[in-house]
Amino acid sequence: MSPFLDVITIVCLTALFVGAALCLHRILIGPDAADRAVALDTLTMVFIGIISILCMRWDSTLYFDAVWILTLVGYLGSAAIALYLEKGRIF
Amino acid sequence: MPSLIECVVALALVTGTFLTVVACIGLLRFPDVFCRMHAAGKAGTLGVSLILVAIGIFFAGAQVSIPVRAALAIFFQFLTTPAATHLLARASYLAKYPLAERTALDELQTYLPSRPHDTYGHE
Repeated sequence: MSPFLDVITIVCLTALFVGAALCLHRILIGPDAADRAVALDTLTMVFIGIISILCMRWDSTLYFDAVWILTLVGYLGSAAIALYLEKGRIF
Repeated sequence: MPSLIECVVALALVTGTFLTVVACIGLLRFPDVFCRMHAAGKAGTLGVSLILVAIGIFFAGAQVSIPVRAALAIFFQFLTTPAATHLLARASYLAKYPLAERTALDELQTYLPSRPHDTYGHE
């Protein structure tokens, strides 16, 4: 990895970790379940970005499959919480 | 002097990170749950997609499968995130989550005059 991309990835990682901290703060103070669900969805997106940038830094694609899993699991979690809020039950 | 590919990767990375962090800031600052969904659903999706574009270009020379997988991940992201946000918004409207005080227009009220669930105690 060139020094230019080295600096860029470090800056982006720092910014994404700050964003993850903001999402965690919303999860902690969120007044209701829907706020926490939205914050969790955004936290999943931030983690996808962090995993991608770490893959670039380590020059390894071992963890890239986690991106898929996070995308699909995040959707399932949001859909389950939405069903629970709407009907009071999941199944 | 960085090469052209590195410049493109860096541009996509910085733009995607900026949009994702903007989504997080909006999540923290907007007044009610519907505004927060607006921030998270739009800016977050585009930001993550740009980061995935960056990793696809970065690994394009080394491993051919990575750009394809990144493109499929972007496809799933665009498929699932708006659907999940829409489900959550509909559910939280039906569950009588309070709107922000500055809300000027509630168009859904004309279609759902009586919200069916009164079990949550939000007024």
